[in-house]
Amino acid sequence: MIQIENLVKRYGELLALDHLNLEIEEGEIFGLLGPNGSGKTTAINCMLALLKYDKGTVRIFGEEMSPDNYKVKQQIGIVLQNVAVFDELTVYENIDYFCGLYVKDKKERKKLVDEAIHFAGLEEYTKMRPKKLSGGLLRRLNIACGIAHKPRLIIMDEPTVAVDPQSRNRILEGIKELNRQGSTVIYTSHYMEEVEQICTRIAVIDHGRSVAVGTKEELKSMIKTGETITVESVALSDGQIAAVGALPHVFDVKYKEQVLKVRCTRGKHNLMRILSYLQEEEISFGRVFSELPTLNDVFLEITGKELRD
Amino acid sequence: MLHLMKYDVKVKLHNFNRMFWPLLFPLILATLFYFAFGKMDEADFETVPVAVVEETNSSGEKTFLDFLYTVEKDKSKLIKTEVMGEKQAVKALKSGKVSGIYYAGEKLSLTVSGVGIKESILQSLLESYENGKNTIENIAVNHPEGIQSASEQMSDYRDMVKQVSLGGKTTDQTAQFFYALIAMACLYGCFSGYGTALYLQANLTALAARKCVTPTHKLKLILSEMLTSFFMHFVDIVILLIYLRYVLGMDFRGDIPRMLLVSFIGSMIGVSMGIFISSIGKTREGAKIGILLGISMVCSFLAGLMVSDMKDIVERYCPIINRINPAALIADAFYCINVYDDPARFWRSLAILTVMSVLLTLGSFFMVRRERYDSI
Repeated sequence: MIQIENLVKRYGELLALDHLNLEIEEGEIFGLLGPNGSGKTTAINCMLALLKYDKGTVRIFGEEMSPDNYKVKQQIGIVLQNVAVFDELTVYENIDYFCGLYVKDKKERKKLVDEAIHFAGLEEYTKMRPKKLSGGLLRRLNIACGIAHKPRLIIMDEPTVAVDPQSRNRILEGIKELNRQGSTVIYTSHYMEEVEQICTRIAVIDHGRSVAVGTKEELKSMIKTGETITVESVALSDGQIAAVGALPHVFDVKYKEQVLKVRCTRGKHNLMRILSYLQEEEISFGRVFSELPTLNDVFLEITGKELRD
Repeated sequence: MLHLMKYDVKVKLHNFNRMFWPLLFPLILATLFYFAFGKMDEADFETVPVAVVEETNSSGEKTFLDFLYTVEKDKSKLIKTEVMGEKQAVKALKSGKVSGIYYAGEKLSLTVSGVGIKESILQSLLESYENGKNTIENIAVNHPEGIQSASEQMSDYRDMVKQVSLGGKTTDQTAQFFYALIAMACLYGCFSGYGTALYLQANLTALAARKCVTPTHKLKLILSEMLTSFFMHFVDIVILLIYLRYVLGMDFRGDIPRMLLVSFIGSMIGVSMGIFISSIGKTREGAKIGILLGISMVCSFLAGLMVSDMKDIVERYCPIINRINPAALIADAFYCINVYDDPARFWRSLAILTVMSVLLTLGSFFMVRRERYDSI
C-alpha cells in the first residue's frame, strides 16, 4: 500500500531523514516509534507531499505521491500532532468543513459528520466552540475532523499528546475500531505503551533511519534481553555487584540508590538464582520484580539510549 | 466552492482581529475625530467681543458703526460690540474682556493685544468694510447712477460669499482627516490578509497543513480565501462610508460609484499586502503584525491622518512618496472626487492604485500557491 524508498531530507546541515525505507501493507496499524526529533513527523510530512525532500520516492496506493495527486489525497485522512481546527467554528461546523473538502454531496456528508461525532463521543458538544473544550475533547475533535470522510488510509501523528488517560484509552480503542472497519493506520508516537497496545507492526526510528521493523514480538526477539530483574532497597558492596554480574545469563548490572537492575538473556530460573545469591550472602532487600523486555529495551539495545530520553 | 466560501465568511465574522482592526477600529477613530473636530469648529466660531471707541460724530463713523451692528445681528454671531470710552476700552483689552478696539473716527483703526483667530476676524472685518467703502466711492465718482444698486448688493455680500473649491464643492478643513482615515481603513485590510495567509500556508499553521493535504484543489482554497477577504473588507469600507455620511453627517459631494471604486481597489491593496507580508518566511506572529501595523500607520501618517498638512509637506519636499504611498493615493482620490474636480489627477491616482493592487494580489497569490515547503 505504501512504499518509501531511500528517503533523504536535510534541513541545512541536519540530516532529518537518512535513507528511510518503509513498506506498509493494507489493513495494518503501523507504528512509527522513536524519540522526539527522530524524524517521525518529517517522514509523515514527506509522505503527504507537504515537504520537499532531497532524494527518494514515496508511493501510496501504487502511485507516486505529489501535491497534485488529488486521487490519492481523496483516500487519506490525517490527524496532526498539533490540533488543527477553527476556533471560530463550532464542533459540528469544524467536522462538516473538513468533511466537505472530501465529500461534495450534502446528504452523504451529513451522515458522515453525524457518524464521526458519534465515533468521537462528541454528541453533547456539537454546538460548542473548540476553546470551551477540554484537552481530551479537543483531541477527539481533531481526530473526528481527520476521519469523518472514512478514508482508506489514516495517518495519525502523535494524536494523544497531552491527553488524560481516559481520553487516551478512548482514542486508542477508536483507532482499533477504525482499523476493524477497514482503514489502514499509520501511527507515530514516542509512547511505547501505546504502540505496543495497538500496532500490528512497528518501525523503530532513530536519527531519520528505520533501525528495526517487525511485530512487537519480532522486535523483542531481535534483542539479547530476555528479562530485567529489579531488586529494591538493597545494600551491596562492589564485590557483591560483580558477583551478581558473574551469574549465568546475566549480561548487565546496574546499581544506583540501593536499586539493583539486572538484565539477563533468555533462560530459566534467572530470578531464583539472584534471590539465592542474596540469601546466601544474607543481604536483606525490599520489593523484587521481573519484567519481560519492552520496546524501550529494544530501542536501548539497538541505539544505545533510552526511548524516553 | 460555496461550501468553502460559506465557512470562510463564518470564520472571518467570528475572528476578533479580523473584525476589530479593519472594521471597528476605523469606526471608533472616526467617532473620536468627529467629536474632536466638532469642538474645534465650535471654538473657531466663538463670538469675538470687541470694544468700539467713537472719536468723532462723522457720517463715515456712523456708516462703520452700522456695518458693525449688521454683522453683530447676523445669525453667525461673529462679533459682539460694546461702545466704551478709550480708557475703559484699553483696560478691557488688557484684562482680556475684549479681543480688540475699533477706533471709529475720520480714520478707522483697530488695536489688538495679540495674534490669533479672533484678532484675524476683527482685522478681516475692518478690511472688508474699507474695501467696500472704496468700491462705493469709486462707483460714486465714475458711475453715480448705479450707486443705489451697488449699495443694496453690497449690503447682502455676506450671503453671497461662500468658500468653495475649484470644483464648486465643499472645502471642509476636517475632511482630509477623514479621507486619510478611510485610506487607513483600506490598508487595515492587511489584518484580514494576515489571517488568509495563516489558513493557506502549510508552513505557518497546522490548520493550513490539514487543508493542503485534502483533495480540494489549492487554487480553489486560495480563491475562496482571497475572494471572501476582499469582499468582506470592501463591505467594511462601505460600512465606514455609510457611518461617516449618515451617522457623523460628513458631506460627501462626489459621485458614489467612483468612491466605491477607490474603496474596492484600496481594500484589495490592504488585503493582498497582508497576505504578501504574512507569507514571507517564518517570522514570529507578533513581528509580522508589528510590520503590518507599522506600514499601515506610517502610510496613513504621511497621508495626513495625524497632521493635516503632512500630505502637502510631503508633496513639497518629496512628491514621489505621495505617488507610491497607497494611503496618500486613496486619500487623494477621495479628495479629487469630493473637493476639486480634477479628473486627470483622480485617474492618475486610480491608475497607480490599480497597478499596485494587481502587483500585490499577484505577489500574494504566488506566495500562497506553493505546494511543497522546505520546512514545516
